[in-house]
Amino acid sequence: MSVGHAAREFEAAGIATVIIAVKSFETRMKMMSLPRVLLTPHLLGRPMGNPFDETGRISILNRAIDLLETAKNNGTIVDY
Amino acid sequence: MENDQPQESFEAFTKSFFYGTRSDLSFKFLSDLTPHDASTFLQHLFSDLVDAIDDNDIEKIKKRLLSGQLKGYENQKNFDYDDGPFHLLTKPASSLNFTLLTSSGHFVLGQDPQPLGVEGMTQKEAEKRIFDFLKEKPQLSEIPFEIQHDQLMVRHGGYDTRAAQKDANVSFPYQGMTVLKQQGKINSLTPNAYSFVGACSQVRLLKQTLSGWIEKLKQQNVDAMVMVPV
Repeated sequence: MSVGHAAREFEAAGIATVIIAVKSFETRMKMMSLPRVLLTPHLLGRPMGNPFDETGRISILNRAIDLLETAKNNGTIVDY
Repeated sequence: MENDQPQESFEAFTKSFFYGTRSDLSFKFLSDLTPHDASTFLQHLFSDLVDAIDDNDIEKIKKRLLSGQLKGYENQKNFDYDDGPFHLLTKPASSLNFTLLTSSGHFVLGQDPQPLGVEGMTQKEAEKRIFDFLKEKPQLSEIPFEIQHDQLMVRHGGYDTRAAQKDANVSFPYQGMTVLKQQGKINSLTPNAYSFVGACSQVRLLKQTLSGWIEKLKQQNVDAMVMVPV
């Protein structure tokens, strides 16, 4: 919720945001009408994947940046 | 032989994982399941455990735990907004200045934000005082992207920090952001990334805090940011 509220305020101030969240937060993310959300299939507390999985987290970050560039409307939520 | 232990209902058992006698932040979702769903989850988890041992494959356990967490969180609807702001990007990320902000509770060794006025608060104490955190104004920690991993600390009473203690990047992907910059995917990064404890007063966050954070980022000409909730 905190990151969601922050994203809404940053976006309104002209700073583009992309959120990377675990899939379990999908309902929360949808309810908050957030600009761009990438949902990852990982456990709570590990949105970027397992410890020391550098390849996995770089891939997630790349997808997040792609989403940042391609989203056209608020409420763009995609699965990784 | 008589048993002097008081009887405990199954519902009380599942609730005890949510900051109760069996507090476990990876399993606190059990308190949000119906008794039927919780019992089914545990039954399947036990079955998967045996398969995982036999097959030497933990993926099935991970998937089962994930399914439980999904079920537990699917009805959590605290804030409901019909619409929201959207700032369309008109330039490629490779030309933009980025930062990272997470609600993971990371901070630099020696720069403990001392939440609730407590010096050297432990993870266990943070969990015990989670409801005090929820009344507090959040504090923003500034963390250099070039920080050495052994200088990076984490404490957060709202989630299981065990993975984050092994590798901060699971919830605070500071090294990955640096790689994106090196690869040219993004143009630049602010000197510092940012983290705070997301378990905080939403009213104080909205009315007393965020305007200052926006000002801080505007002064650094931040165009875009990656944000990670936990």
